[in-house]
Amino acid sequence: MTGAAEALPLEDPAAPPVPETPEGYQVRLDVFEGPLDLLLFLIRKKKIDIHDIPIAAITRDYLGYLDHKTEINLDREAEFLFVAALLIFIKSQMLLPRETDLADGEDPRRVLVDRLLEYERIKAACSLLREREDIQILQWKRDFIPPLHGESELEPVELSLFDLAESFFLMMKRRASVDTRTIRGRDVSVEVKMKELVGLLQERHVIDFLEYFEAHASLEEALIAFFCILELVKSRVAVAVQDELFQTIRVWLRKDARRTGAHE
Amino acid sequence: MSDPLKNLIESLIFVSQEPATLERLQAVVEGVPAADIQAAVDELVADCTADGRGIHIIRVGGGWLFSTKPAHDREVRKLLQIERKNRLSSASLETLAAIAYRQPVTQSEISAIRGVDSTGTLKTLLEKKLIKIVGRKKAPGNPLIYRTSDEFLLYLGLNSLDELPSEEEIAKILEEEKAADA
Repeated sequence: MTGAAEALPLEDPAAPPVPETPEGYQVRLDVFEGPLDLLLFLIRKKKIDIHDIPIAAITRDYLGYLDHKTEINLDREAEFLFVAALLIFIKSQMLLPRETDLADGEDPRRVLVDRLLEYERIKAACSLLREREDIQILQWKRDFIPPLHGESELEPVELSLFDLAESFFLMMKRRASVDTRTIRGRDVSVEVKMKELVGLLQERHVIDFLEYFEAHASLEEALIAFFCILELVKSRVAVAVQDELFQTIRVWLRKDARRTGAHE
Repeated sequence: MSDPLKNLIESLIFVSQEPATLERLQAVVEGVPAADIQAAVDELVADCTADGRGIHIIRVGGGWLFSTKPAHDREVRKLLQIERKNRLSSASLETLAAIAYRQPVTQSEISAIRGVDSTGTLKTLLEKKLIKIVGRKKAPGNPLIYRTSDEFLLYLGLNSLDELPSEEEIAKILEEEKAADA
């Protein structure tokens, strides 16, 4: 849990603390669990007594970090800004003239200090719990052992044409989001592709559905190859098999068809 | 105490998926004083720690369980075909710690402690069954009340919530951190 603070690049103690220049080191806000984490980091960095926080200085530092945010995330930002507002509120309370001196318990900073101390304790507890987790995670108990795959589950499932079509379109969708180039595909006829595919199946005996399509440069060619596979499965020349849900699909020629090599 | 009892207790702990408590063992092994069962367990625990056995009996969640030793983690995972076990994210762990120490608590109380909205991490922890909903608070909005679960104790290898790091241990960590900073 102390990782967040330690992972940060340390500042030269001699250098003026904050504000950092834009070209200086950047601290990403998301390394902090939240605003309290950031505040604690600043307090420790400046070696400030948590019970006597110089609110103005800390607020300046704190806002300095907010300015360096790399991206806008409204939810997170609201939480950081809330604490900024709290800091400014506390400062304003401290500046207000009062008729009588404040008693110890009435320090306007009290609310914040209590929260910080509580959060600090939770964070320290976290590091101890993490140690426990690290040891426990290496010890296997019966209830954590997932059932081994039974024999029956390993039986491959023969897929319907719909399953094939679904996998294909899912894959194409994924592909479309990754690849934005447009390549003019060469004209491929179903006939040519069919021969190529049967040849490949005979040569390799089994092909990986996903791999096979990922190798196709254009959508058009992939589509034609897909029609070929659908046709082969439909005419029962090839079998498409999936070992488990969401796993790849393997295609191979039926034994009786492998010898003749043709689907017609 | 006779050896057959020890053997029997070993079998019972062996098949237990949840911690085998003294009460449960006693209910199964009828007519045997709790002290004898305890003695049998103690001997088993000593057996496993003393000689170089691959498994040991751990005291967890108010009972006993067999578990493998940390040194064999890699091979055990290989056998079970598990890549690795994920640790909790720091946000999840922080939320879990806040619940563990301040339970029973509501979502808004946890979020206040952390200074961060904790709805999402609460959901994750519920899914992992490390926390449970124990009711609703009689307050405006009737917010849900959360507590840590039995699985939580198992997950961290705690016998009971009393075994959570104490205030003194936490204070010690803070001292060390401050010393490291200075």
